[in-house]
Amino acid sequence: MEIRRRDFLKAGMATGVSIALNGLTLNAFANGKDHRVGSGGTDPGQWVSSTCQGCTQWCPISIFVQEGRAVKVRGNPLSKVNNGYCCVRGHLILQQIYDPDRIKVPMKRTTPQKGRGIDPKFVPISWDEAMDLIADKIMELRKNNETHKYLLLRGRYSDHNTILYDHLTKMIGSPNNISHSALCAEVEKMGRFYTEGYFGYSDYDLEKMKYLIIWGCDPVSSNRNVPNTTLKLSRLLEEGTVVVVDPRLNNSAAKAHEWLPIKPGEDGALAVAMAHVILTEGLWNKEFVGDFKDGKNQFKSGQLVDEATFAEKHTHGVVKWWNIELKDKTPEWAAGITGINKDQILRVAKGFAQAAPYCAIWYGPTMMPRGTYVAIAIHALNGLVGAVDHEGGVVTGASSPSSDYPKFDKYQDEIAKAGVKQKKIDQRGTLKFPNLASGRPGSGVSTNNVPNAILANDPYDIKVAIGYFNNFNFSGTEAGRWDKAMAKIPFFVHIVPIVSEMTQFADIVLPAALHHSEEWAISRNKGNLYGHISIHQPVIKRLFDVKSAETEIVWLLAEKLKTKGFSNVYDWLYHEYKDPETGKHPTNAEEFALYATKIRSQKAWNPTLNKDYKGDRPEGWEDFRKKGVVNSPRFEFRKKWGTPEKGNFPTVTKKFEFYSETLKKALTEHAEKNKTTVDGVLEVTHYEARGEKAFVPHYEPPRRHGDRSQFPFDLIDMKSRLNREGRSANLSWYHAFKKCDPGDVNYEDVIHINPSDAKRLGIKEGDLVKVTSTVGSLQIRARLWEGVRPGAVAKCYGQGHWSYGRIGTKDLSRFEPRGANFNEIMPDDYDYLSGSTARNGGFTGVRIEKV
Amino acid sequence: MAKKQYGMVIDLLKCTGCGACALACKTENNTQDKANGQTFNWADYITKVEGSFPNVKYSILPVLCNHCTDAPCVKACPVTPKAMHKHENGITLHNQERCIGCRACQEACPYSVEDVDSAKAAYSVISFNEDEPHGFYRDDREALKGITSSGAEIAKKAGDLPPHRTLYKHSDYANIRRKGVVEKCIFCEHRVLQGEQPYCVVACPATARTFGDLADKNSEVSQLLKKYKAVQLKNNKGEFLKPGEKGTRPNVYYIRSYQASTRKG
Repeated sequence: MEIRRRDFLKAGMATGVSIALNGLTLNAFANGKDHRVGSGGTDPGQWVSSTCQGCTQWCPISIFVQEGRAVKVRGNPLSKVNNGYCCVRGHLILQQIYDPDRIKVPMKRTTPQKGRGIDPKFVPISWDEAMDLIADKIMELRKNNETHKYLLLRGRYSDHNTILYDHLTKMIGSPNNISHSALCAEVEKMGRFYTEGYFGYSDYDLEKMKYLIIWGCDPVSSNRNVPNTTLKLSRLLEEGTVVVVDPRLNNSAAKAHEWLPIKPGEDGALAVAMAHVILTEGLWNKEFVGDFKDGKNQFKSGQLVDEATFAEKHTHGVVKWWNIELKDKTPEWAAGITGINKDQILRVAKGFAQAAPYCAIWYGPTMMPRGTYVAIAIHALNGLVGAVDHEGGVVTGASSPSSDYPKFDKYQDEIAKAGVKQKKIDQRGTLKFPNLASGRPGSGVSTNNVPNAILANDPYDIKVAIGYFNNFNFSGTEAGRWDKAMAKIPFFVHIVPIVSEMTQFADIVLPAALHHSEEWAISRNKGNLYGHISIHQPVIKRLFDVKSAETEIVWLLAEKLKTKGFSNVYDWLYHEYKDPETGKHPTNAEEFALYATKIRSQKAWNPTLNKDYKGDRPEGWEDFRKKGVVNSPRFEFRKKWGTPEKGNFPTVTKKFEFYSETLKKALTEHAEKNKTTVDGVLEVTHYEARGEKAFVPHYEPPRRHGDRSQFPFDLIDMKSRLNREGRSANLSWYHAFKKCDPGDVNYEDVIHINPSDAKRLGIKEGDLVKVTSTVGSLQIRARLWEGVRPGAVAKCYGQGHWSYGRIGTKDLSRFEPRGANFNEIMPDDYDYLSGSTARNGGFTGVRIEKV
Repeated sequence: MAKKQYGMVIDLLKCTGCGACALACKTENNTQDKANGQTFNWADYITKVEGSFPNVKYSILPVLCNHCTDAPCVKACPVTPKAMHKHENGITLHNQERCIGCRACQEACPYSVEDVDSAKAAYSVISFNEDEPHGFYRDDREALKGITSSGAEIAKKAGDLPPHRTLYKHSDYANIRRKGVVEKCIFCEHRVLQGEQPYCVVACPATARTFGDLADKNSEVSQLLKKYKAVQLKNNKGEFLKPGEKGTRPNVYYIRSYQASTRKG
């Protein structure tokens, strides 16, 4: 029986209408006929340990399974990195697993032409046929001695990437294992490397901290350590001080004691002015940096200081830094550049230094042209106050146990050995791309330059490519270049769970198992002063015949190559990947995946190997599998400080460098390799510093695309707290809670514009506007938002897909995007010293017009 | 034993407006996607912006059913016995067997609207199931025929609808509400009666939510209300009750402010 509201209202709103209900039972427990209060509670189920890879934190999680289905997600209660909580992204895992647009079977393209908007007309094929086609292409490369023309493009990965991305590429015989890293956050690591010799993410002691400056990121939303920061920020808000530097009022800024709405890209000016204040006010950390021999502060604005008067301790070059860069960089000077009031600069610089060393600057990706110097200038402040490697400060963080993957070299043949020696496709190490990631020229990747290289056949063309869990046609700036380059590659294999933009260029598509719920793997990470090794395991039975990219597919390919006369890959996997518990050789893809997982984590779970470990010690593989995580012992502070005579920082001087001998060495090596001078390198790579300035933290004016008269607004590319690294657009919950990104609205994609700017341009809330940069135009709805600096506009990354499922795309059959992907109008530029893609710092000038 | 009055205290200084509580609620209670002006978000948010650049204040307020002591939704419910009713523990429960879908509760509740889109409302506590729930997983269309899946196929293969359906049992409400009835937050009574906390409380990574018996002066919620000045929502526009104003006597309280108390600049 169904009574519609209309019928009911027609009968009149009489009170006390009694409706008899017959035989409608809600479930076995409910009787629905009286006021009896009763609950059968939650039906039986099991929490299964796994790992979330919705950001770079790789949190240990547990997934609740009922009747074989994944139904809820939480942080692994044993995890010390997230205190047992997952952030909002964790819950989205469920919709990722049960996405109706998941690829069920391998498929191949039947339209030979490739391009945006060209339907590939995929048809289903068997795994056997797919692997056969791929193996044929690899054999052809081998036959023609051009295995270097094989390219592996990596997106999200686990530790097992060593097998597919690194070792397999070398077994095939190519130098071209290209990661996504330089699209993501590599510049921030430059800040640490060229001061303290550490290329990686930082960790923070939030419990003991008194003063936190969050700079160009929003750690309660994205970046890293989100659950831990979410739990611990309120203590700092209550007992300490939180300051946010960002042109946009992000979540942290909304909560903070102070917001410094800096002009986009001018961060370096603020950083050096703060250093100027800290030195002139005599507030640097004497224990870490040292002091003037006579104890009298000689850092006075505009005046040079004699280096011999200062006795430095754990740092190198503070007086050089002052003389070369800082002496004239007053708060007044910075106020004019940054748009931040000089009193606020003074107050924050002093407050920060007075809390030292129980303070930290937590800075973001700084992915902007010339960003290396921005990151170095900001991180130098952490050094100046002695917060580096100190309790309550900013630290390298703890590591976690892992065992080495078996070696492959003895299975590598001559063809492969020769191929590996060829130049890498991304042009790293050439004059224009120093990519000085770990102190050596060409040691970092320049991901976004790959399409340029492919299109120019420089150093050569690419014939066979495999990509997995990546979508560079969407995530790379000036994304149209990737469309052209991918269309040019004759044979491309994409291993993904759903069809994305990059998949549209594939010849073969292999349906991927999901990291968090459908495969065996290991991930290691750190945060909250602990390191962790966390398991990925099949939490549910796979709905379709999907396979794990980094293990199972490698095995299947090895089997197929063997049938074609190249058995080396198979021999390597079969002989070296034995089950550490039973000694058995793998006989199929699933066993290989499991054994690889046991091998990698052996040191964590094997009682004979972990007996002296000071962190968690599971009693064996099964115990580790159930618990899912091994936490390291707590990070120990001040190990890197060493003594003033002998420091432990892995820099050239073994000290924290304000004058970076480490950068000088790397730049000099790069210059010599390319037969030029350091100044010559800096000129080609678009930095302004010349001479000694190149080796100290200093201000460089932002390099901007677009003349202000034509492109008056600075574009800010912001990140969503709901983005599972850009994999959320096809999930309805993402759109239902988009308003949790400050300034954004549900079920829309918007650009934030300050109401004063909007008024001037005659733009009202919700108006469609055309946004034009030097490389293109896009249309999007305007959102009038006081939380963005006048003169800047902000747009969140994540929407604008022309191929990303029924929710993510407006019209799949016409490749019509939902929202706008601003990567399409951000120019292809770099922080060349790191090889990183520019996307921050307002480097894209735009014009806004009402449509 | 004295009568219980369950309620919740939300600490806005701890809250980061992240969305985890509302999404966790969706996974616990299997609420469907927005349709026909109904959000089906038993937990949701109101955002507020005050002032202008650079002195701008932004806050986000987590909202849910206030389980009012003078619940207008209960008064408005026309059936006998009432579908919308109070339990002895103070929770405002909804019995789906007795509900006739008249939506009088939705009209009466100061925190609900019949259509969030036409009312331009940030949220609605009560939603109405006009269609069969979870149409998304009933849809059998495939984007690429024979290659990619469909909602219906995923649900069938997984073995339930929605495929991530959390199974629980309760005497008044099912874990998925049928077509033709209203639904709203029930403080996860199926958990509370088992001695567990509501799922939004358990899932909040900021531990901003505290649930308990307001009638017990030693409970954590009572202690928080004693320690901090608290406010209650007046309506779904984000306005709070003034001191002395009773409203519908809501049992969800907000303490402290979203922004640090000593903001400078």
